[in-house]
Amino acid sequence: MAHSTPMNAVFTFNLNHKILPRRVAVGRFDGTHPCIVAATSAEKVFVHNPHTKTKRQGDRWLTDPAAAAADVSLLNINQKVSSLATGTLRPGSSEEVLVVGTPNSVLAYDVENNSDLFYKEIADGANCLCVGHLGTITSPLVLVGGNCSIQGFDYEGNDVFWTVTGDNITSMALTDFNGDGLQELLVGSEDFDIRVFKEDVIAHEITETESIVFLCSLTSELFAYALVNGTIGVYQNGGARLWRIKSKNQPICLVAFDIDGDGKPELVTGWSNGKVDARSIRTGEVLSKDSFGHSIAGIVIADYVLDGTEQLIVCSVDGEVRGYSPTTAEYRQQLMDANYEQETIRELSQKKQALVMELSNYEQAKKLSEMNSAQQVQAIANQDIACIAANTRLKTGLAINMGGDGLQPHVEILLETNNETIIQAVIVFAEGIFQNESLVIHNDDFASSQAVVPLTPPRDVEVDLHIKAFIGYKNSTQFHVFEVSRALPRFAMYTVCSESPSSEAEGTVKFQLNDRPHRVAQWINQSFLLEEEVSVREDLHMTFLSLRDSKLVTFDMDFSGEMTIRTESMEIAGEMIQSLTSFLGIEELQSAADFPAESENLLQLMQRIEEFQSAKMQMSAQMADNSALIRALIVRAEDARLMKDFKAMRQWYMELQPLNRELIQSHKIRNQSHEQLQQQLRELHKILQKAARLRVGQYKGRCVTACRGALKTTNPTAGARALLKIISSGE
Amino acid sequence: MAEQLKMVELDPLCRALFQYRQLKYEKCVESCEVALNNNSYDQAAWILKAMALTRMVHVDDLEIEEEGIAESLLDDNATAQVARPGTSLRTATAASGLNQMVRPMTQSGRPFTGMVRPGSQGGTASIEKALKTARTAMSARPVTSSSGRYVRMGTASMLSQAGEPFINVARLNISKYAQKPALSKALFNFMYYHENEVRHALEIAAQASQHSKFNDWWLKLSLGKCYYRLGMFRDAEKQFRSANTQQPMVETSLWLGKLFLKWDQPLGALEVYRSALENFPNDSFLLTNIARVHELLNDLNASVKFYKDVLSTDSVSVEAMACIATNHFYSDQPELALRFFRRLLQIGLHTAEIYINIALCCFYAQQFDLSIACVERALQLSKDDATTADIWYNLSHIAINSGDKTLAIQCLRLAIAHNNDHAESHNNLGILIPEQAKLNFETSHRLGPHLFEPLYNLALLSDLIGDCLNAYKYSNQTLEVFPGHVDSKIILDRVRTLLASF
Repeated sequence: MAHSTPMNAVFTFNLNHKILPRRVAVGRFDGTHPCIVAATSAEKVFVHNPHTKTKRQGDRWLTDPAAAAADVSLLNINQKVSSLATGTLRPGSSEEVLVVGTPNSVLAYDVENNSDLFYKEIADGANCLCVGHLGTITSPLVLVGGNCSIQGFDYEGNDVFWTVTGDNITSMALTDFNGDGLQELLVGSEDFDIRVFKEDVIAHEITETESIVFLCSLTSELFAYALVNGTIGVYQNGGARLWRIKSKNQPICLVAFDIDGDGKPELVTGWSNGKVDARSIRTGEVLSKDSFGHSIAGIVIADYVLDGTEQLIVCSVDGEVRGYSPTTAEYRQQLMDANYEQETIRELSQKKQALVMELSNYEQAKKLSEMNSAQQVQAIANQDIACIAANTRLKTGLAINMGGDGLQPHVEILLETNNETIIQAVIVFAEGIFQNESLVIHNDDFASSQAVVPLTPPRDVEVDLHIKAFIGYKNSTQFHVFEVSRALPRFAMYTVCSESPSSEAEGTVKFQLNDRPHRVAQWINQSFLLEEEVSVREDLHMTFLSLRDSKLVTFDMDFSGEMTIRTESMEIAGEMIQSLTSFLGIEELQSAADFPAESENLLQLMQRIEEFQSAKMQMSAQMADNSALIRALIVRAEDARLMKDFKAMRQWYMELQPLNRELIQSHKIRNQSHEQLQQQLRELHKILQKAARLRVGQYKGRCVTACRGALKTTNPTAGARALLKIISSGE
Repeated sequence: MAEQLKMVELDPLCRALFQYRQLKYEKCVESCEVALNNNSYDQAAWILKAMALTRMVHVDDLEIEEEGIAESLLDDNATAQVARPGTSLRTATAASGLNQMVRPMTQSGRPFTGMVRPGSQGGTASIEKALKTARTAMSARPVTSSSGRYVRMGTASMLSQAGEPFINVARLNISKYAQKPALSKALFNFMYYHENEVRHALEIAAQASQHSKFNDWWLKLSLGKCYYRLGMFRDAEKQFRSANTQQPMVETSLWLGKLFLKWDQPLGALEVYRSALENFPNDSFLLTNIARVHELLNDLNASVKFYKDVLSTDSVSVEAMACIATNHFYSDQPELALRFFRRLLQIGLHTAEIYINIALCCFYAQQFDLSIACVERALQLSKDDATTADIWYNLSHIAINSGDKTLAIQCLRLAIAHNNDHAESHNNLGILIPEQAKLNFETSHRLGPHLFEPLYNLALLSDLIGDCLNAYKYSNQTLEVFPGHVDSKIILDRVRTLLASF
């Protein structure tokens, strides 16, 4: 057992400004001196620059709070700051640039020279920002994650990168995921997915159990993630998870820093309750920790005292800043010696306790084996000895229950023992299909040798079910735990529909496979819950019924390899195609789609978006006009007040009041319509993403690029027509 | 016979066109009205009238803008509140080594330049301070620049129109006219310049732009101008940039630069001008604007360099000549300044200001007799009281320097008589008439809070009569206006030690 040591704080000061969580960054705006930048209240961003103004004497400025606060200069953003990032954007320059994201724009600002690099309006908002090199694109980019879309801008503000993804993006990080020497983009979104973009193609997808709040690249092959429910963990670049832990607090930010000076980075997490801990990235073991009085706002790494080494700088929401240096082995040794003995005694006594328990169990077992069989039965029935028959087995099965009697159709796990033992309780542990990761079922009163666990996976994912059954006798006080693992197929929520459907589902997608139908049948066997395996025939024709909404999905495949999926929902078709192609190992697939309902929806969306945008323009012009009037009135009223002409002042304020009310009213309307516009845009992006998922490999990327081209055309009706064509043909 | 004469008379529309070309706009409007009376649906006559009306009141809105009190107080357009010195117009004054002792300041805290331009941003702290500072007839600022009209005094825009207005803006079918490119542009100009209906102008430009499939840079520029007037600077930037990529134009770049100055990002503005110079090398407008920005940043040497570049391509640029001359004058080279002022006279600029400047140059170049003659010419040419007051004030300098105290006092009195609010005259009068010193200094400070001299004089006076508290107060105030003033620091130090010793 390792001992967590306190961190080695080298400086601490207070900025006297509130800091918004996750909106902290550090930048070397003049190319050498690092400055902390953070978003603060009242739509402002502050820059803390202690290096150029005050001369540092030893660490004097660190302890003088007034001096620290005086080094802060404020930047007006005049919009809510939703994200912050810094990085070098101009190729070949070392000066870093501040990038500020707001709900409808992104601003790249040169702090040193007080000038904008570019300002871009972004209808999808800028939830998160990331600056760096992506893939083979030569110049560094500002990557902006918004509602379902990612945009990349170079230093001149040209949007050189654009793609869509499943849901609102909550966090992004750049890392070399597949070790090809090029950076890939990790994107965490509200639909619980971590996607890896190799430029605009999704290279890998990992489904988590909650929406992602933070992603962070640790080393070249590891990255860490944090979820909204308090989970943090580390993935290996290949998609295998090394470890994860769950806390009742929320992780605010993650960063890789070598806190123990051993040359390897640790994962440092800042929590909402003010705790900071550094964990081993291989095991998740806490190595050292510290705590603040307020929630952590952000953690950055920079050489803030200019001594040539980097410090870990932790900022809390009330503006407290602490800097930590890596601890040395000697320092840790000193701390360890103090409580080493106590710890060891506690540890050993725990071990003793466990061994004593184990010994008593062995003694009982020995007693039992010494009895003859009649005595054994007697003893077991009376529960003198906590034991069950040695040949007890647990059978498990997965089946589909079609529901009825007010019961929704669902998937069931059936558990049964092979003798008179009963199943007292069942714990099912699986990610992402329950609200809290696990489900416990007690069979208190009607305990029998059978148990049924209903499951309704909300999404189509392949899940490993870890089942723990408590098995014993009716009056047992101790139970045996049987552990079983079962895999729930990806499309468990679809059942075979034996009779041919009366009406064919409306949408279709057609594509050409180079495999024979029996390979597709294999895929069906693996991905669906079937009572009996599908046999191979000349042509494949199967119909499935979704348990969620009773919609039909039909597969048709003839011997030439042409396959058709008929379903109303483009999303389901996309899921099936992605699953099928990864099973068959297909890397490129083009398809022809026809989804009349989605097309109709898309046309309406485009029309509404156009309406909202033109209304927005008119409304903002009117508001600007009104606000100019209001400004004039305020000045006139104040002028009257200063001249003690209260009658005039009253009159000006009387005039001001209705104008002000009107302005507030139109602001509300504009807010509403903006929200609606965002909603529509999100839906549009979702449709585009679904259309892209009907294709695989480069065709997927090509589809997205073509959609972007169509969206850029200025004529809305032509744009909508072009989009429909792209969705149906894929390019 | 009379009928025959009538027959050879020109068609009113044709006549109007001629008159329009001859810049006889008022006659053109009359002819158009005749044509419209004959056929009230004559679109050609209608639009020609609108164009003529627009031309009558057209002002170059690139050059004319004064930031109103409301804008400077209630808007935070600048990104950085405290920018690094030398990168912002607000921190410019404190940054450079330019001395107020050598070159006086204008009301907005800028050094005197050769050309009077609408105000620039000098930081104002609170609404009370902004409203209370020196409200004199000469220094009034507009309440707001967006609700007020941009007008040239005494032009046709002031003329009252008989009967109902020419175009009823509220009833105009904008979407109909926006579809005709020729009509929409003229109509936009009419709305924007003549009617000052920026919102309607915006609507016309937006619809026309949509109709042209967003392929018209001029409409984009117009849209940007409207957004600028409405205070929607980010939208304006988008339009200007889009117009500039479609068709690089000097005007668009100038507007973009203006936008950057509004955001207090002078380096950004310089960058815009510089990149525009690549397309339009040696363009005098761009060079002039670069020079102006340097001037605003108090980098006068760079400014003069660019003014010289302007002169090498545009040898009659009044602004460049005046600024170079002023710079020479204040850097103790009156002979050189004199050459530039004489050149101004040569190109036909016979104004009182030029003459008084020549007079001062002559005086400092030891040519007393010439300078008096010039002052007399200046007084003859002076058109308004403010200028006359300035001339008398300058004459008082000549008098002081030649040791004629009585003449100096008389001159200053005359200056005050012409312009009651002449703060500098009050200050100098206080020095010349010691009995009324305090009163004069106080008046001077009230009228010109941007001047450090009356404050320093008050501090000195208080120190001399042993009023330590006031000496402390005034020397502190002096240092607020002029942070590097050595004499005030000396007084302050002495008074502080005195006060501490009690």
